[in-house]
Amino acid sequence: MSLNAESVAAPVEDSELVAQCQHGDTLAFNELVTRYRNKVYAMIYNMVRNEQDAWDLAQDGFLKAWKSIGKFRGQSSFYTWLYRIMMNVTIDWVRKKRIQGEGEFDETLGLKGIDPGAVAVAKTELLPHRKMEAAEIRARIDQAIEKLTPEHRAVILMREMDGLEYQEIADAMGCSIGTVMSRLFYARKKMQGLLSDVYENI
Amino acid sequence: MKTFEENFTAWVDGTLNSQERAKFEASLVSLQEAEAEKTAAQRLGSLIREHVPAPEMSNADFFNHQILRQIEERHSAPEQAKAGGIFWTLPRMAWAGAFCLAMAGAIYGVAVPKTVRQAAAGQEYVAKILNAETDDPAISATAYHDDDENVTVLWLGGLDYIPEDRLLR
Repeated sequence: MSLNAESVAAPVEDSELVAQCQHGDTLAFNELVTRYRNKVYAMIYNMVRNEQDAWDLAQDGFLKAWKSIGKFRGQSSFYTWLYRIMMNVTIDWVRKKRIQGEGEFDETLGLKGIDPGAVAVAKTELLPHRKMEAAEIRARIDQAIEKLTPEHRAVILMREMDGLEYQEIADAMGCSIGTVMSRLFYARKKMQGLLSDVYENI
Repeated sequence: MKTFEENFTAWVDGTLNSQERAKFEASLVSLQEAEAEKTAAQRLGSLIREHVPAPEMSNADFFNHQILRQIEERHSAPEQAKAGGIFWTLPRMAWAGAFCLAMAGAIYGVAVPKTVRQAAAGQEYVAKILNAETDDPAISATAYHDDDENVTVLWLGGLDYIPEDRLLR
């Protein structure tokens, strides 16, 4: 899925709405908010795991976008630009809340520190998938996501949930593609270790 | 040159070209273990997509309404300040200043008794020089005007030495 998919399908191009916003047209901005609010909200919600916080952060992000829309030069798609604002707002918030706590992930962890057999060996003492409700699986995934750093959380959700390309994630995060790929590697490793019993039993 | 982590991620996601893939697979200690890791990573992705919700925003219209209201509030605040600033244009300030001076003169003329004004006019000392530059703080300079003699005198005090031709006798 591309970041531009939604805007291409829209009757009015994002760029046209952005140009109107840059002339102070709040109705055009309202249209952009309507267009992206659900995607933005879903992504933020999965980062912060709280509806009200996600709502507030999405609002904060949109207001920041309005404030700086005059500086938007169209070098990326509007959504990528918006995504970056939202990610900055959310990651800052997550850092402040220190959600990751003791589960903070150490990126310096080498391959030798990861048991390669961990993903291949099912832990039979845990619940088999037939008994495990979807809600339980979701709760386990939520717990695992909470143990990731904000940056790792962001890349894995953008990649797996939104299906963004590395370059799009890099644009949204303001980092290199290499950093995105590296973060993805460690985020997956961490989650595999935490969820191995879950998906091995499904 | 890509790191192992970058290559591994690209390998899992299938974004390496055939040459890169062959090179990477040849560099692995155990292709079998790496394949198991790859499968696990792909299953993790499926698990996330299947079970992590993409929640719909509740009160979406109110969400937009609040954003627009805050934008309008931010807009109206500077406009109000701007509107307040426009009233005090330069000509208006000049006229206001002139009006205030005229009013002060009128009040002075009406409210202050003539005798007081005459007494003030007859006062000898009309100025105290405040910025006399000297190393000695004991030295002072005072100016006064005598209407009868029609003369202004500069009085210097605390000097150790005065040239003969300047001495007051």
